[in-house]
Amino acid sequence: MNNDAVKKITFRVQRFDPEKDRKPHFQEFTVPVKRGTTVMEGLLYIKENLDSSLAFRTSCRMGVCGSCGMLINEYPHLACHTQVEEFHSDKLTLKPLPNMAIIKDLVPKLDTLFEHHKSVKPYIIREDKEEMEKPTAGYLQKPQQLDEYLQFTYCIKCGLCIAACPTSASDKAFLGPQALGQAYRYCADSRDEGQDFRYAIVEKDHAVWNCHFAAACSEACPKGVDPALGIQLLRKGVAAKALGIKKTAAPATLATPPALAKPKIDVPEFTVEPK
Amino acid sequence: MKNTYLQISQMITGALVAVLLAIHITVQQWFVVLGLLGIKVADPTTWGSMMERAHQGSWVGIYIALLAFGLFHALNGFRNILLEINLSALAIRILTGFIIAFGVIFLILGTYAPIALFSSYR
Ligand code: HEM
Ligand code: SF4
Ligand code: FES
Repeated sequence: MNNDAVKKITFRVQRFDPEKDRKPHFQEFTVPVKRGTTVMEGLLYIKENLDSSLAFRTSCRMGVCGSCGMLINEYPHLACHTQVEEFHSDKLTLKPLPNMAIIKDLVPKLDTLFEHHKSVKPYIIREDKEEMEKPTAGYLQKPQQLDEYLQFTYCIKCGLCIAACPTSASDKAFLGPQALGQAYRYCADSRDEGQDFRYAIVEKDHAVWNCHFAAACSEACPKGVDPALGIQLLRKGVAAKALGIKKTAAPATLATPPALAKPKIDVPEFTVEPK
Repeated sequence: MKNTYLQISQMITGALVAVLLAIHITVQQWFVVLGLLGIKVADPTTWGSMMERAHQGSWVGIYIALLAFGLFHALNGFRNILLEINLSALAIRILTGFIIAFGVIFLILGTYAPIALFSSYR
């Protein structure tokens, strides 16, 4: 396809209006696409020109907000991060993400994702409550310590991993790859002291031990996160803890506030008074 | 930590079943393989050969261990699968009770035979 050539593609979109419909049905739209047109642009074309009642989520349109997850030809993708051309087909079938309830058309109910995410305490926990409430400085962390969990910080909570996971499909109470991956992310952070809380949560039924390592989550993730790896590493930690062989390093110490830190090299004094 | 201990046991018994099953299958079949290579050894599936093993403590140990580990592994694995259907706490307790009872009954039945044979007159 040259850059300007326009091709007509059929978007077969699953529609469902809870106020009118008893079950979902499909509606077809003809959408002009050219090289580089994303599925999201196709949906926006439909909304602007063909049917303004079509519901879908979008915000950033650049693969960072995690709003636009949907099934495109039966596989979970971010609509804004997926070009129509990738499918080498004249017809695209769009459905809302599975393993979640539908609010309307292509809008899934993400409540469970966020509840599960919150349940694993996805933030740094320190024993020093005073410092947690009123932080006085940052914590020191080496680049190698950052590498332990860095890839997991790229998670945008889009839910594609949950949509791809066969365990999430069969076990509605399963915490899911997103939350378990984030549980690992915080447990692996050298600044964190909340491992015991999180281990107790992920050790329960429908959690870390219920992953059967299909690794469909890691394949589907649009941000290169490997939740399946996170789950295996989390298991290793939980098992080592239960067997009493878990090595724990002392948590990261506070960085000296800049005002008190001595510069490593001689910095000349200000010669002009700052205004 | 209950789930963690159960899962660690599942992995360990899985590995033990792999080893014990390999021993069992090899011993039962190796005469066929060796026969194909032209080496003649006694058929381990004859009555006499089986009785001989039945009177050796190490074999009795291997068979009982295979039974115990296999039962634990299969029944705990089966329970894991069933727990993924969202059952009530009561249903889980009843299910667990049934599975333990089933395991214990078959362990007793399965251990009785080799021990009875072992202590029988040769
Ligand atoms: C070669 C020997 C074996 C090995 C190494 C092995 C290993 C394992 C492991 C590691 C698991 C945990 C999988 C997970 O967490 O998803 C498992 C689960 C299971 N195993 Fe085995 N196993 C063996 C033989 C058997 C046999 C002979 C049976 C049945 C008679 C059996 C029945 C099960 C069941 C029902 C599960 C639960 C399935 C699941 O959780 O996905 N296994 N096995
Ligand atoms: S792990 Fe990947 S697929 Fe799962 S929610 Fe995060 S970004 Fe999306
Ligand atoms: S619209 Fe933000 S990720 Fe697609």
